[in-house]
Amino acid sequence: MRNKFTWGVLMLLAVTVLVLLCVPGPVFADKLADAIAAAPQGTGPGQIDPSAAKGVYGIPGAPSPGLLLCFLWAIWVGWIFSTVGAFGGIMAGVGHITIYGLGAYAKTFKDTTPALNKLVTDSIRVSNQWLVGLSALVSTINYGKQKRLVTSLGFFLGIGALFATLIVVFSTAGKISFSQYQGWFGLCVFLIFAFMVYEMSPKGQASKKAAKDAAKAFENTVKTKGDIAGQGVKTLKWSVVKTQISFFGQTFSFSPIWAFVGGFLISALASFIGVGGGFLYVPFLTSVVGLPMFVVAGTSAVAVLIGMVFSIFNFMVLKGIMVYWPMIGVELIGVFVGSMIGPRTGKYIPEKVLKWIFLVLALYIGLRYTMRGFFGIAML
Amino acid sequence: MINTINQFYTLIDPGLIFFYRLMDTPVLAYLLGTFFLSMIAVIIGELTVSIALKANMSYLTGLSSRMTQKENLAIQAYNDGDMKGYKALNKQATDAWGKKFFAMMGHSAAILWPIPFALGWMQTRFAGVDFAISFPFSLVTDSVGYTFSFFPVYVLARIVFGKIRPFLPYFSNVHKQLLKASEGAA
Repeated sequence: MRNKFTWGVLMLLAVTVLVLLCVPGPVFADKLADAIAAAPQGTGPGQIDPSAAKGVYGIPGAPSPGLLLCFLWAIWVGWIFSTVGAFGGIMAGVGHITIYGLGAYAKTFKDTTPALNKLVTDSIRVSNQWLVGLSALVSTINYGKQKRLVTSLGFFLGIGALFATLIVVFSTAGKISFSQYQGWFGLCVFLIFAFMVYEMSPKGQASKKAAKDAAKAFENTVKTKGDIAGQGVKTLKWSVVKTQISFFGQTFSFSPIWAFVGGFLISALASFIGVGGGFLYVPFLTSVVGLPMFVVAGTSAVAVLIGMVFSIFNFMVLKGIMVYWPMIGVELIGVFVGSMIGPRTGKYIPEKVLKWIFLVLALYIGLRYTMRGFFGIAML
Repeated sequence: MINTINQFYTLIDPGLIFFYRLMDTPVLAYLLGTFFLSMIAVIIGELTVSIALKANMSYLTGLSSRMTQKENLAIQAYNDGDMKGYKALNKQATDAWGKKFFAMMGHSAAILWPIPFALGWMQTRFAGVDFAISFPFSLVTDSVGYTFSFFPVYVLARIVFGKIRPFLPYFSNVHKQLLKASEGAA
């Protein structure tokens, strides 16, 4: 597996060098400059004042979110990542949309320069994906070293992700207004809200308790046979109908068609909203496909990475969407600091209280964005 | 933020562009310069994560052992034909994995935060200059920008750094500690 991984990296490098050596001359294409030039000049909303100081993306008069604000919000995102284990991608999105003022700025161009409105909206989506994609990259490398990646499963999920991101990018890039995006983002938050409500409902709690009891009973009756990580995963049989994998002497099978469908649907949603989709991949692979966690952990990180790479590539290379790099850099530092603080402070807050806090937050964000995005109703 | 960042880029620009002027052939000069830029990003990221790992080693080791324990038990339950136990333990392994995954995401940020700053500097120098590409890659797109030429070179810099790490003063100690910790966890 390690050899395959190294060869993959070397192939990637060779292709890049070949690509760059095929350069006949520079190409100039700047959608943003065209959109700025098309915007009416002036100091009012929906206008661009060329004499104003440059803000994000180099647009004169655009918001220039403070370093401290970006950093503090990202600490909050990192704190959530590390304590709750969910909701971080959503909070990163809320930062880009609301806290840094990018959403409100995009909205001012709704009638005067729709192209600029849609470019900034796409940039928000891609900025979210960069944060998730970079993290998935590191996880994938780590799991690759531990021989925890299932090539066959990753392949079928990846094919699904490729189709999904191509369809999503080509059908939505430059076509989704900020309001529409905000509305869909709100609905996605409702989906997470529904997950959380189910987990906290008596039925969800009962199934959790039953699972805990069953696990405890098994733990009490057996002793573990030692570390299985060193043995790695092998694909025994490739087929479109049924693929078999083995590890620790056990054979598991999965339907590649289901993997394709799952990869397609989850990547489509993730690419459209601008999140990783890890919160959907893990339950999908463990509950629907029925694979053990040993396989799922690494492979879901690969699936997120594949989806993000295709989506970011399609948005940035094929559709010319740009991001404001320093903002992502400051956010990564904040996420890091937050995730250092999280484990040290989160333990003082009971898990149930944390869940209630995020339940209320999810309801509020879901309602606020859906109402604002689809119906133009502003809530506090 | 914009002013502060621009001032920062102006300050570091002479140092970074120096590496892009070491060769006469434009494409090779670009690749070499980007390699040095990537190596700086790798070293700063590694330095940050080494500090973080030292601070959080016990927490991360705890998460890893919990996850490994649940996974092993799940596999054994499957082996014994106890599907109820398998599902339950698999679910618990999922929860443990969730915590580890997000802790790892935090550490990923420590390794990767210099990348966007490097790309931000490249944007000030190479925005708008795309590399036209020929067949068969042109079937996908007719050109790529600085972003997508940076990443493979960054990966190469990481591989090179990984090879020379055991011989570097500070990083060789960190490398030994990490090896020791991973042996201990296993």
